[in-house]
Amino acid sequence: MRLTGRTAIITGAARGLGRACAVRFAAEGADLVLVDVAADLDEVPYPLGTAEQLAGTAARCREHGATVLTVEGDVRDEAAATAVARAALDRFGRIDVLVNNAGIAAPAGKAIHEITEREWAVMIDVDLSGAWRMIKAVVPAMLDRRDGSIVNIASTAGLVGYRNFAGYVAAKHGIIGLTRAAALDYAPLKVRINALCPGSVRDDPAVEGRMLSEIARCLDVPVAQHEATFVQAQPMNALVEPADVAAAALWLAGDDARQVTGTVQVVDGGFTAR
Amino acid sequence: MDARHFFTHPEYGTRPERATHGLVVPLPAGGLAGGSPVQVWSQTLPVPRRHHEAARQRRRELRRPVPAPGVRAVLLRYADGRADLVLSAHRAALGPADLDRLARELTGAATPGTPPAPGAPPGPWTAPVAPAPAFGLGDGTRAGRYARAELGSVPCPRPEPAQLVAATALVLARYGEPAAFAVVGPDAVTVAVPEVADDDTLDALTRRAEAGLHAGPDADRLPALGILLPATDPAVRCEPAAPPFPVTVAWRWQPDGRLTGHCLFDEAYLAPAVAAAFAPQLLRAAAALAGRPLSTLVSDVELMTPEETARVLGAGRTPAGTGRRRGTVHAAFAALARERPDAPAFTDGATTLTYGELSGRAELLAAAMRDRGAGPGTRVGVCLDRGAELMTVLLGVLMTGAAYVPMDVRAPADRLAFTVRDARPALVVTDVDGFPEVDGVPLTSPDKLRADGPAARPVASAGGPDDPAYIIYTSGSTGRPKGVLVPHRNVMALLDATAGDLGLGPGDVWTLFHSAAFDFSVWEMWGCLLTGGRLVGVPYWVSRSPEEFHELVSRERVTVLSQTPSAFAQLRDADAEAPRGLSVRLVVFGGEPLDASALRAFHDRHPRTRLVNMFGITETTVHVTTRTVTPADMASRSRSVGTALPGWSVSVRDGRGRPLPFGAEGEIWVGGAGVAAGYLNRDELTSARFRPDGHAGGTIYRSGDRGRLRPDGQLEHLGRLDNQVQLRGHRVEPDEVRAVLREQPGVTEAAVVVTGAAEEARLDAYVVLDGGSATAVRRAAARMLPEYMLPSTVTAVPALPLTINGKLDVAALPAPTGGEPPAPAADPPPADGITGALLDIWGSVFGRAVTVDDDFFELGGNSLLAVRLFAAQSRAGLPRVSLRELYLRPTITRLADAMANAPAGTGA
Repeated sequence: MRLTGRTAIITGAARGLGRACAVRFAAEGADLVLVDVAADLDEVPYPLGTAEQLAGTAARCREHGATVLTVEGDVRDEAAATAVARAALDRFGRIDVLVNNAGIAAPAGKAIHEITEREWAVMIDVDLSGAWRMIKAVVPAMLDRRDGSIVNIASTAGLVGYRNFAGYVAAKHGIIGLTRAAALDYAPLKVRINALCPGSVRDDPAVEGRMLSEIARCLDVPVAQHEATFVQAQPMNALVEPADVAAAALWLAGDDARQVTGTVQVVDGGFTAR
Repeated sequence: MDARHFFTHPEYGTRPERATHGLVVPLPAGGLAGGSPVQVWSQTLPVPRRHHEAARQRRRELRRPVPAPGVRAVLLRYADGRADLVLSAHRAALGPADLDRLARELTGAATPGTPPAPGAPPGPWTAPVAPAPAFGLGDGTRAGRYARAELGSVPCPRPEPAQLVAATALVLARYGEPAAFAVVGPDAVTVAVPEVADDDTLDALTRRAEAGLHAGPDADRLPALGILLPATDPAVRCEPAAPPFPVTVAWRWQPDGRLTGHCLFDEAYLAPAVAAAFAPQLLRAAAALAGRPLSTLVSDVELMTPEETARVLGAGRTPAGTGRRRGTVHAAFAALARERPDAPAFTDGATTLTYGELSGRAELLAAAMRDRGAGPGTRVGVCLDRGAELMTVLLGVLMTGAAYVPMDVRAPADRLAFTVRDARPALVVTDVDGFPEVDGVPLTSPDKLRADGPAARPVASAGGPDDPAYIIYTSGSTGRPKGVLVPHRNVMALLDATAGDLGLGPGDVWTLFHSAAFDFSVWEMWGCLLTGGRLVGVPYWVSRSPEEFHELVSRERVTVLSQTPSAFAQLRDADAEAPRGLSVRLVVFGGEPLDASALRAFHDRHPRTRLVNMFGITETTVHVTTRTVTPADMASRSRSVGTALPGWSVSVRDGRGRPLPFGAEGEIWVGGAGVAAGYLNRDELTSARFRPDGHAGGTIYRSGDRGRLRPDGQLEHLGRLDNQVQLRGHRVEPDEVRAVLREQPGVTEAAVVVTGAAEEARLDAYVVLDGGSATAVRRAAARMLPEYMLPSTVTAVPALPLTINGKLDVAALPAPTGGEPPAPAADPPPADGITGALLDIWGSVFGRAVTVDDDFFELGGNSLLAVRLFAAQSRAGLPRVSLRELYLRPTITRLADAMANAPAGTGA
């Protein structure tokens, strides 16, 4: 039980990696504040998480004995980010962990000169600035206690480029820069910030994941073909499981990583080793 | 200062949950009254109220911190339809009474009032917390982990707050650590600093505690320990959400008339084994204060139960080994000599005697000594330098059944005369010219014994294991030297305790480095010769010259070294410059406290050499405890001297001889197989120091050393009881100052001595520098040490002088110079050639101008410095001189004369 008595905030928690992290943290004794926009966005060409899915994540966490607070909120909204931090403190009195997981994979699938101003803006606003807003809202409580761990979910797209995904790649590269800068800002006050870069993650029905399929759709290739491509591209010859990413996030969140900050942890089956 | 202020900025430490307290209120069937003044969080649990998951959830809710505005209400609903209201609040916002009132409002038991005013928002939690008490034996790596120890429960009248304060002070004093602690009452927080004296009555202590309660808190830092007094209204169950202090004692007085409570402790502050005894002792002290006649003395309060006493005595005792080594020292030697007569026994220069030869020679001397009156029940004085002759005579003395009384050939005549007068030996064997004649005690020499001896009919070996084997004189800190009678049985037990663990055997080569008058030599001689090893006599001059001693250790392939830490530090330096490797597999340290950090360099160079620290006392047969020094010890500057040798026992006791609990600081008492038979002719002193042990049986020796015992039986040695000095009202431990000085850059060795008495007392420090200046050391130390611990002077010396026994020779230290270099001498006369070169070298080595007629020793020179001079001389291409030469010709003029007659590059 590595997170007993701790409070973790996880954004994008309705499904996917957010749900995988939430359930794993609950199993390790954490109490949780689960955040999701629980609504679709105009610019995003696929359905986002729903309130029902968010409640579903909360129910799975409660099965492990966690006390869970759910908040519907958009990381593009500074007031919403502040409200999340406020709710966490009112209910639990402390914030130990923040997992900046909320993110969108599309609009994508086009070369740079074809991306519209609005498409570019929404991508950066959610995937990069959203993490910044959440850090800003949460970090004062961590600094007061001289303790805290922030895990920014980036991507291998934060390390290498992908064709026709410039906005996503730029945002994820930005997350890694944000991580390094924040780590230096707060290391003297014992608050740690690390980035986590998953490779291609399997769409696990247990967490209602759909990232892989949405990326395939953007690239206009059959899901099975896209999957096969990445199984080959990742030297372990397998897709990454959501549980693999959750395990890495758990390590970064907990005391085992107490000297780890400003790092980029890669969970990609060896993809970036080539 | 009121509670509100105390629990907020800045005194509270970095854990806001410490500032939180809470209530659990079972709800009436009607649930919550409407119109709550605070937000109520609701949670449904899928278990009934009595389920352990429900209890766990209530605890979790109580432990959560509450930031400003300072109150949280959680409604827990259970599967059986019941519900609890958990109310928690920041103490700055709501005191216990307010919290209770809010609970009544929310549950409809009282009319709703105005919502509680939010307290000041908690500030940055940055205030330092007092360091962990030494007695707690906390583990720094477990900082932040809290555990709980129960106080127990006793029927007791309702205690007054002052009684609980007095009880806490009494227990802390018994642990040797009187310190300020916080007292948290329903409405106020105070800090108590009561003084406790053993001859106080409980009444006086309680009255002082009452007065002390009003003392203002020390706002600089949060005390390490705080007590929470029982609530005045038993209906309000108000608990801290998290322990407010690293060690928090929460008292409860139950309406059924029982006093109880628990102690929550950070494991960096208290080890669980210490807390398990400490907590119930608080309750016992409180019960004593509430129930005893108030004229009872503080020292009469019994804190330890028989079980606790048995536990600490058991931890300090190591079961005896095989017990196979019995009989007498000389009989054991004779058996080895019969078994392996041709094995090498003693090397003296170029000559090596076999076991057979040594035995035969000793028998001849024994016969001659017996003719002169030596025999069981008598004593023979022996004053010889450390060579084959000494070894033969000592063995011969034992063969007669007498005990040997070793004397140092370099001891002053008065001291030798005193020893002879006190020991009344049948004869004295010596080759020292001018050995004092005393009251007709016959003097003889080994040569005379051989010449006048009977027609060499070896005598049958005499004496039994309970007869004394030797009497060694120790100079106590006060008064005249006293002879310690050590029976054969003890020496055999020492071998039994160590031979197996240290793997002592015929393959070993030992040095006889120490004077026979220092009991470390008992270990060297008999540790070697009773396990079949070869003993190499170290001539005095060589023992004083680290370079030459290193050469001898290397040449003779010595495997077992016994060294004082001071002497070893010089050997280590010589080793660092020596190209040749060593065959040493074991170094046994004794005679002085060991600073394990000083061993790191040697360990890096010789990682396979086992380094064993032994704490020992002449009165308990050389050694008491043993600990193999680990790299972790070197890193942590551990003060542990290890566990008792098999057959020995150690305990830490108070002034009345009662064993103290684990962690408490007190006097080290030693029992078991090593306890000597007493002091010769000093019955009163013997009965004062050697006592029948009412707790463990047998005889036990009060060492006069301070220590503490750890639950695993490891003894920490904390110096002499009388080493601690009072400087301007502060208790100062010179060893502590020394340790800090040694950590300063450029300092390779340091010594701190106390000069003057009472109000005149002050500390003078001596440092050996490897760059830097004494002034810089003093400046650096001023950053580490409180003003009262700062030495008045810091004097740079080329090396620390050692006594004959290898301990720091305080008398040989120069007068303190306050760190300023001595004024340079007037213009030295011009000199050239050898003299000029020597002037330069001496000047640079001593760090000041010298003249051709300055005496090497009066300048503060010693063996280590001589080694440096020689090195500089050979670099300058000057002829080599021996250490002996320097001792004989201690001025530049006389040395230059000798050099002028010797060809460059060869020995003089």
